[in-house]
Amino acid sequence: MEKNVNSSEERKLECGDVSKCFQLLERILDGEDCDGSKEVLKEKLSKCQPCFEHYHLEQAIREMLKTKCTKQAVPGELAASIRQKIEDIK
Amino acid sequence: MSEVQKKKYSDKEKNNIFDNEFMPHIDSMYNFAFRLTFDEDDAKDLVQDTYLKAYRFINSFEQGTNAKAWLFRILKNSFINEYRKKSKQPAKVDYQEVETYYNSDSVDYNITSDLRVDAVKDMLGDEISNALNSLAVDFRTVIILCDLEGFTYEEMAKILDIPIGTVRSRLHRARNLLKDKLHSYAKDMGYDADEE
Repeated sequence: MEKNVNSSEERKLECGDVSKCFQLLERILDGEDCDGSKEVLKEKLSKCQPCFEHYHLEQAIREMLKTKCTKQAVPGELAASIRQKIEDIK
Repeated sequence: MSEVQKKKYSDKEKNNIFDNEFMPHIDSMYNFAFRLTFDEDDAKDLVQDTYLKAYRFINSFEQGTNAKAWLFRILKNSFINEYRKKSKQPAKVDYQEVETYYNSDSVDYNITSDLRVDAVKDMLGDEISNALNSLAVDFRTVIILCDLEGFTYEEMAKILDIPIGTVRSRLHRARNLLKDKLHSYAKDMGYDADEE
């Protein structure tokens, strides 16, 4: 089962329950541990092509979001102005 | 903000909590505010108001609990109450309606099978950012909280005042909508799943 994790040769091309499987894969990626998630993941990625593709696509999108959407520069004076306002209300 | 375990912190303790537990999250707070308002001044005001409220209600904050989630909840509520009306985004979409529309296996499958990992990796920051920004605020928010900020479903449920089951289904729908937007960019870049 392990040796062909990156090959699609042995994977079935249609997933029996796409909606349920994809939601489960997303939960696993989100770190929301489900019962036996490691085994479930291993099984799905090695045996089901749609699950394999969905998992890696979700992973790629998350990485892109994290690296490209979190860099909004905070205005330099914001922290100082918050501290000043707090001093004023004390 | 639960008032159940209200404590009285001394001034020194208040300053300590504020400096060491609240202020380190200012970057994440500003990023969240900016993605809600799309306006630098509104985002600044929103973050400032959130911190002032956090200080005012600091006795409701229980030390040792998740300060970041607590602050995000205040910011989100402030946005709903004060900033949404003046922000320039379109009226709120009834996500229940959208959810029902997208609640079908074939839609899930088609969106996903049409978009590929290499297409996503070739996208520019602006494309990813625009795709995220184009989502209705309820969908955008769950993606920000989960994928950008790494909150757990339980924390998200508290921040948004919705049940965990709703968090889960809203996230799934939000991701399908995001993939739908990204798919348009992928097509523009010349990726076309039909050709393969």
